[in-house]
Amino acid sequence: MKRKILINVVGILLAFLIGALVMVFQGKNPLEAYYQLFAYSLGSPTKIAYTLNKSVPLILTGLSATVAFASGPVNLGQPGQLLMGALFATIGGLYIDLPQGLMIPLLLLLAMLGGALWSGIAALCKHFFNMSEFITTLMLNMIADSFTLWAISYPFFEKNANHPQTPLITKNGWMPEWGSFGSNVVVMLLAFIIIWFIVNRTTSGYEWRISGQNSLFSRLGGVNVKKNYLAVMLLTGALAGLAGGLVIMSGPHRFIKDIGGNYAWDGIMIAMVANSGVFLTLIFGLFFSILQTGALGMELQVEVPRELIKVLQAIIVLIVVAGRGYFEGLFARMEARRKMKGRA
Amino acid sequence: MVDIIEMKGIFKIFPPNLVALDDVSLSFREGEIHAIVGENGAGKSTLMKILYGMQPADKGEILLRGKKIKFNDPGEAITAGIGMVHQEILLIPEYTVWENVVLGKEPVKYLDHLDMKTARAQVKAKIEEFHLNLDPDSKVADLSVAARQKVEILKLLFRNVSVLIMDEPTSVLTPQEVPQLFGELKRLRDNGHTIMFISHHLDEVLELSDRVTVLRKGRMAGTLDTKNATKTGLAQMMVGREVIFESIRDEHDPGEVLFEITDLNYTDSNKKPRLQNINLKVKSGEIVGVAGVEGNGQLELVNVIMGLLKPQSGVIRAQGVDITTLPILEKRKRIAFVTQDRANMGACVPAKITENVIMTHHRLNRRFTNFNGRVLNYHQAEKFTGEVQDMFDVQMTSGQAPFKSLSGGNQQKVILGRELMLEAPFILLDQPTRGLDVGSIEYVHKKILAMRAQDRGMLLISADLEELFRLSDHLLVMHRGRIVADLLTEKTSVTEVGYFMLEGKSYEA
Amino acid sequence: MMKIIIGLINGMLASATPILLSALGGSLTFYAGIFNIAMEGMMLGGAFFAVLGSYYFHSWVIGILFAILGSILMALIFILFAVVLKMDEFITGIGLNLLALGSTTYMLRQIFNVKGMFASTEIVSIPKVDIPLIRNIPIVGEILSGHNLVVYLTALAVLVVYYLVFKTRFGLRLRAAGYNRTCLDTSGVSANRVRVISLIICGVLCGLAGSFLSLGVVTGFTEGMSAGKGWISLAAVILVSGSPTGIALISLLFGFTDGLGLFMQQSMPPQFTEMVPYVATLIALFVYSIRLKKKSLSTGVL
Repeated sequence: MKRKILINVVGILLAFLIGALVMVFQGKNPLEAYYQLFAYSLGSPTKIAYTLNKSVPLILTGLSATVAFASGPVNLGQPGQLLMGALFATIGGLYIDLPQGLMIPLLLLLAMLGGALWSGIAALCKHFFNMSEFITTLMLNMIADSFTLWAISYPFFEKNANHPQTPLITKNGWMPEWGSFGSNVVVMLLAFIIIWFIVNRTTSGYEWRISGQNSLFSRLGGVNVKKNYLAVMLLTGALAGLAGGLVIMSGPHRFIKDIGGNYAWDGIMIAMVANSGVFLTLIFGLFFSILQTGALGMELQVEVPRELIKVLQAIIVLIVVAGRGYFEGLFARMEARRKMKGRA
Repeated sequence: MVDIIEMKGIFKIFPPNLVALDDVSLSFREGEIHAIVGENGAGKSTLMKILYGMQPADKGEILLRGKKIKFNDPGEAITAGIGMVHQEILLIPEYTVWENVVLGKEPVKYLDHLDMKTARAQVKAKIEEFHLNLDPDSKVADLSVAARQKVEILKLLFRNVSVLIMDEPTSVLTPQEVPQLFGELKRLRDNGHTIMFISHHLDEVLELSDRVTVLRKGRMAGTLDTKNATKTGLAQMMVGREVIFESIRDEHDPGEVLFEITDLNYTDSNKKPRLQNINLKVKSGEIVGVAGVEGNGQLELVNVIMGLLKPQSGVIRAQGVDITTLPILEKRKRIAFVTQDRANMGACVPAKITENVIMTHHRLNRRFTNFNGRVLNYHQAEKFTGEVQDMFDVQMTSGQAPFKSLSGGNQQKVILGRELMLEAPFILLDQPTRGLDVGSIEYVHKKILAMRAQDRGMLLISADLEELFRLSDHLLVMHRGRIVADLLTEKTSVTEVGYFMLEGKSYEA
Repeated sequence: MMKIIIGLINGMLASATPILLSALGGSLTFYAGIFNIAMEGMMLGGAFFAVLGSYYFHSWVIGILFAILGSILMALIFILFAVVLKMDEFITGIGLNLLALGSTTYMLRQIFNVKGMFASTEIVSIPKVDIPLIRNIPIVGEILSGHNLVVYLTALAVLVVYYLVFKTRFGLRLRAAGYNRTCLDTSGVSANRVRVISLIICGVLCGLAGSFLSLGVVTGFTEGMSAGKGWISLAAVILVSGSPTGIALISLLFGFTDGLGLFMQQSMPPQFTEMVPYVATLIALFVYSIRLKKKSLSTGVL
């Protein structure tokens, strides 16, 4: 356990070191830059609220990927599922109007439905035709991209707008804000708690985790692996869809081009670093949000371009994941050597 | 005759405590066909793998034509003139015969251009030189298994090996294809090649080899000229002294039929029949042993019973209920399963011990769940782990520790505990003590007999004759997918059973 | 009318070029048994370095050279993580794509001090080639002559890759690595070595593709200008299971739908034609899976 934390920390520090070297090479002061990074993202309650706000889609898509990876199905469709969730929520917000107390849950549900539908397509393809969900979810991402762009350029296009976008959704569908603290963070935390509970405390979650680690053993143990597979795909699709809905409802309140941004890919990255840990996904999600928010501060104050953060993120993923594999192999070999010595 | 290869004092230990080879010394003469026989786990494959550079020996040395050698990988062995044909054919099915043969030694022209014409010609020449009767342009995927084996041999001959090691060459062949292979091997021998072949089948050994070496439990049992050997003599050397194994069973009358298989047939995806006409019954309070050399259908039998494979015909009944095609969870209500494959079938190695212990129980026993089966009761799960720990004498720290931290013996105890604690009256045991130390084996045997005393019925599949004789009330023998014998343990002998295992018929016939 | 058709065909060839080049690279790694999804990143890196080289050295030749070197650098990173450290190839690919996106955007800021896009008259683009006699042939001449140099190189690349994969010793070993690594290793050839070489050649081809993007189609570098072309080339490779001739045809088809989309903007929204490669991949996967399922049904494996 301690070893795992160590590997993660070492990976992050190494990435920061590399980043520092690049900065020095550019003639900038890395300590100053890193200070500004954290100051800008955590320096005041407003800033913290903003960072938390930005972490919501990261963590939700991260949870989606984490649960999927831990249970077996390779769901890489979060980008598409996020967009479809966002679209469903937007459409709901354009054509339905209810009091806020009902509207918000409805839209969130629609968002989850959109995401689950999209992942469901891939799940059914696997279930009936044994088509690799790896490829289907990836292709569906691209299709969702094109499809949503069409949707906001034609049927749901806001007339006279200069770029593809929908009209604003009804005000009753806007996520309330308390000061600078957004309520979407509450939804995210609620989702996190529910997911944590499902994965770690329920029978289904147990079966998912064991199936993900050894599906033959689960099958022999009587687990209905096929049914669980479907459930996981739908749930993780719903999570990504929820992320999309929240982005709309607490952000621009309409579907604009590139609303999904890089959230879902970052979420997948976070899941990879978190290595099937639900709690760790939350932590890394927050951490990446800090990095991304603070990047602007780094740029404004120290003139270090914020794109460096993207590079840092990629390096963290590569080093932590590679390091994990490498160190685990290393430790295993050391153990084996120790045993051989004891034998001879 | 010259000793071409000498192996002296070979030791090999697989951690933590499995002695695969214990001071084995033998030599091979140039231009002979030398058979190596022994039971499963006797060390035959390991010995050859060490010679071939696939595994390092822990102690001992190897001489090739008098010079000390040590190969670090098969490539070096091949360069030195030694080649091995494995049981699983390692070819590229999508390529033709000549493409497979020249791979790694391709003739080229300018700019890496593959000289296909020369390659084909070279391969054709070799085929004709050794009378192998192959078409160089046929795709390997279209060839029979026997032909593929020839391609493997051809590949080695193409690299001018003078020593050929064949690992169970007839295990993949039909009886009709065997004489052809033998003809080829004899031709090669007459040509000056040296051939070593590992086998179980005494008939073939006697027909083909010049000399035969017997290994038993990692040690040399002896080497003799084949003309001086007899089947019974060899069988005895393989399984050990003729001893009536002490039965440790009490008198216990069996009761009702708990488990029954009727007319079961299974053919695999290569159209090879793996189970033919299997009929067996297990009563409550009895242990039915299944003896047989590995690869004679035991794996398929287990997989069909458990539901991983679908039989072409036949009925499996547990407590009178037809469970042949039921979902696995339904089967588990009536069958407990102790597997030999700890890593894949018996456990989830990266998971925690408790997580391993409650599998299946979590669905069959309300004790472990709340809210109508939806939420796990980890408190009860941990308690259960403790109960298993006590009842099965498992050395472990806590249920939260990862399963892989347990030693092999303790892992098997946990698996045994989980399965025996299921309330299923019928227990399927597949090599339950494989890889365990003597103490653990004793313990497991005691538990198995305790189940018998509690009127549970067991089907015990094992390659360990001693274990079978100790525990079974009567013994079935499997040979090439059929049950060829049903013997009362008290009335039979190791020799008789051994014979059935190797020949498929009794030795009077 | 003729003019439109000629225009469509020329457009198709130009659009197909970057997809075809990187798909050829993907084909090599596919045959080697590597799951390579990093073509997008390699292409993007190539596009950036092409501009870098052309700008500072005022030469498109240096531009192409830089593009290839930059792409090879990305391939080496892939090799480091996926082959040496034996990390999962998919994760490595994703990581590499993100690294390419991040670092090219970063370098765009740092080196050229602009955001979003860099263009300059200092950048020398790759020239078009007018073939002397052919260009005078009516219709055919207008199609065959006058394309960017890279387009012709691409046509050459198809032949070269085909030859490499099916007619050379390297090709025999390459495909063997994909079919059965262990068999190749026991035949005395290092499967890893073959895989590494395939990745490097993929880098070269993707680098060339990138240079076409930033020094051919337009002149200049835009953030993320590979814009999914790497994913389309991946779809192409999967659809035809690596075959170079198949890739050529599919890339032309994709290039055609690209151009056709623009043309058909009246009747069908462009986004639907964008979807074509991905839907096509799904259909191919469907057919493939059905065929596989039919085979296993006859064997009784549950």
